[in-house]
Amino acid sequence: MTNNRPSGFANPWFQLGLNIICVVLYELLLKAGAKATADPSKSWSWIGITGLASPLIWLAIVVIILDLVIWLYVLKYIPLSIAFPLSRLVDVLVPISCWLILKEGISSLRWCGIALVIIGLAIVAKPAARLEERL
Amino acid sequence: MTWWSLILILVWLGTFVAGQLFFKRAMESSGVAGFRNRQTISILSAGILLMTVSFFLNLGLLQRFDLSYLYPFQGLSVIIITLMAAVILKEKLTLRLTLGTLLITAGVVLVSMS
Repeated sequence: MTNNRPSGFANPWFQLGLNIICVVLYELLLKAGAKATADPSKSWSWIGITGLASPLIWLAIVVIILDLVIWLYVLKYIPLSIAFPLSRLVDVLVPISCWLILKEGISSLRWCGIALVIIGLAIVAKPAARLEERL
Repeated sequence: MTWWSLILILVWLGTFVAGQLFFKRAMESSGVAGFRNRQTISILSAGILLMTVSFFLNLGLLQRFDLSYLYPFQGLSVIIITLMAAVILKEKLTLRLTLGTLLITAGVVLVSMS
């Protein structure tokens, strides 16, 4: 594991950080694009296909694909049972970005729920990643 | 939160987890039989189809709900994986997994009421 680990830009830990940034970025892009194209009056709009009219969604798709490549690269060097728990940092960053960037009004009830989910994920991430490796 | 949106959220997460597992199987299959193998291609196609369904459902949901409302539900996908492992691998759930699962579920319930 420690041998032959690429350094600099190719460093897998740096790429893991890049993966976290990509996830937060595409979640925000998807939300912004969805908001711009929302038309809940149409009953079939649940399938979300109208979102494709927004360039933000296409940008998000590019980031998702980029993120997939980064993630596969990370998993070549770092085991899932370590990489997955660390990647859950996004669960903290996404709600904070919703609050700071999207200006979503988050009630204290919702903050409490988010906190419980984050604590729960922190507890299960490692054993869950081990199970997923075997599935 | 209506029953209809709850069902859509569960289908969104379920197709996402299933798609991921199909991708993993396709990678394993490609390692053994190669990328042009018919089995590899069909597993990969199924994974892409499931991921596409999941992506558009996510968009449809985002058109209606706050991201800070929908995002915590993704915690349930870890629970889906854990339950699948319990069924498919006949794995016993440890105290740690049970405790975390309960916390995530409680958190999602609070978010759904907000």
